[in-house]
Amino acid sequence: MSSGDIKGFYRQKKKNGGVTKPSSSSSSSSKKSKSKHYTGGASVGAPSAAQTPALVTRGGAIDLKEEYGDEEEALRQFDMDMKYGPCIGVGRLERWERAAAMGLHPPLHVREVLVGLASGSTACSSKFKCLWEGLV
Amino acid sequence: MADSEMGEATLERKLAVYRNLDERFVIREEKYKGQQFSHIYFMRLHHMRSQLQSLIPKWKPHLPVNTVLGLEEGKECIIVGTLYKHMKLKPSILDEYSKERSAIPLVKPHNFMSTDDHLILEDESGRVKLAGPMLAPSAFVTGIVIAVHGKETSEGDFFVEDFLEAGLAPQVDRPLDSREDKFVAFVSGLSVGTNAFNPLQFQLLVDHVTGHLGDENEQRISSKIVQLVIAGNSMHISHGFFSGQTVAPKDHAKLTEPIRELDIFLTQLVAALPVDIMPGCNDPANYSLPQQPLHRCLFAGASAYNTFVSCTNPHHFELDNVQFVGTSGQNIDDLYKYSDAKDKIEFMERTLRWRHLAPTAPNTLGCYPYVDKDPFLIESCPHVYFVGNQEKYETRLLQGPDKQLVRLISIPRFCETGVAVMLNLRNLECHALSFSTNL
Repeated sequence: MSSGDIKGFYRQKKKNGGVTKPSSSSSSSSKKSKSKHYTGGASVGAPSAAQTPALVTRGGAIDLKEEYGDEEEALRQFDMDMKYGPCIGVGRLERWERAAAMGLHPPLHVREVLVGLASGSTACSSKFKCLWEGLV
Repeated sequence: MADSEMGEATLERKLAVYRNLDERFVIREEKYKGQQFSHIYFMRLHHMRSQLQSLIPKWKPHLPVNTVLGLEEGKECIIVGTLYKHMKLKPSILDEYSKERSAIPLVKPHNFMSTDDHLILEDESGRVKLAGPMLAPSAFVTGIVIAVHGKETSEGDFFVEDFLEAGLAPQVDRPLDSREDKFVAFVSGLSVGTNAFNPLQFQLLVDHVTGHLGDENEQRISSKIVQLVIAGNSMHISHGFFSGQTVAPKDHAKLTEPIRELDIFLTQLVAALPVDIMPGCNDPANYSLPQQPLHRCLFAGASAYNTFVSCTNPHHFELDNVQFVGTSGQNIDDLYKYSDAKDKIEFMERTLRWRHLAPTAPNTLGCYPYVDKDPFLIESCPHVYFVGNQEKYETRLLQGPDKQLVRLISIPRFCETGVAVMLNLRNLECHALSFSTNL
């Protein structure tokens, strides 16, 4: 690691400490109460959301925001959200269906992305598996 | 309904309406995709937490409910989570790799408790050690979900002032209109195939239940038996045969003889009355809970009858709208290894109050890694709760705070005691049937 310009290492910083992109996707994230930002991960109950984006991707390359796009970002946030339970060992769609059956109201846009992928011809099958698939 | 012609009395056996409710224990659609047990714990926590959250307002309405990560030092609150009991004497597969031969003795009797055991409460956000005299670790095990009231101390522990278990689940009313006595017979631990099995003793049981024993009065009693439940360990296949190696021809008989012998007895039984047979830890069934029904091909004779029902372990069924839930003993035996109670019945009571049949699964009791459910959760309190393969016959009528009434039955191993249990469906009264061949 070279002389400490850590900000330069991260080419892009998260704007709101973890809230997903303030575009159409965030409007459908239902739980926007004070203690439950859709920030995912270990921020349940914590006063501030300290989120770093998941850096290493399945290919092993350092994972920067541009390389996997908004859809994958939204899917990863869904993976990391503790409210819906552990993500390892279950497919994303299965986990979404399980969360819906439990009455947790998982965000609809995630399901749309996954269903859209299933029917699309350029479906990338790795998007159905959780973030940590093959890594843990 | 005796025909009063001289010497020609035909007694008809009573009937009860039977409904098998084992569906949630049967492994049908589940596919193993490499998942671990975090999912079953998540489902358990989620389900039990919603039950506890409906009870907390009646318990301590003015306290906030926090997550573990949201604890603030000194602030009194309630947290809900899964208990983990740290036990230093619990055997761990890593012990064989540890460099020091530490305090763990080589042979420990039935129990792994020690005075150092402590409890930790865990939810999705984190875990916290529970301190204070209110929760005695000896009465708890890993895997139960409770609510605790207290506050975080400066050491980072949570000092418990009070705790709440879910308590007995709501119970469907038992039908009260039956005026006639109908009996259900329970037996377990037949162990056909071992030296402990006494064929004459079991034949006495078979003859009594089928009505081939005794005079008309005795037969009248037998005609009131509407169901027989065999709660596990009906045969004993030596565990060496489970290793997966090919069985030498000279050993074939050791494998098939017990099964054939049991089938002969079972055929006599199913010809006379409905029989439910459950697998146990020594039966040729899968190891982890829920054990799947013993395959029909094992019982060439008995499976031809429609009165023969091979069931899962745990087993849930209904007879004349009376709810029965029972196991072959593994759940209670595991509690016995990791906690303390004055008798087995007390362990059974605890599982009902924790609303979970096998809380130590999957921690120390093998179980299937379910992803979307925990089938051992007790959503509705049964009327009869039985456990097989215990040391002795014990029974208690448990009364719940919401007018629940449960008959708890500990069924002893028949090969050792010669005791079977009879339950009267009309009033849930229970008595032992003892068979002896010692004159």
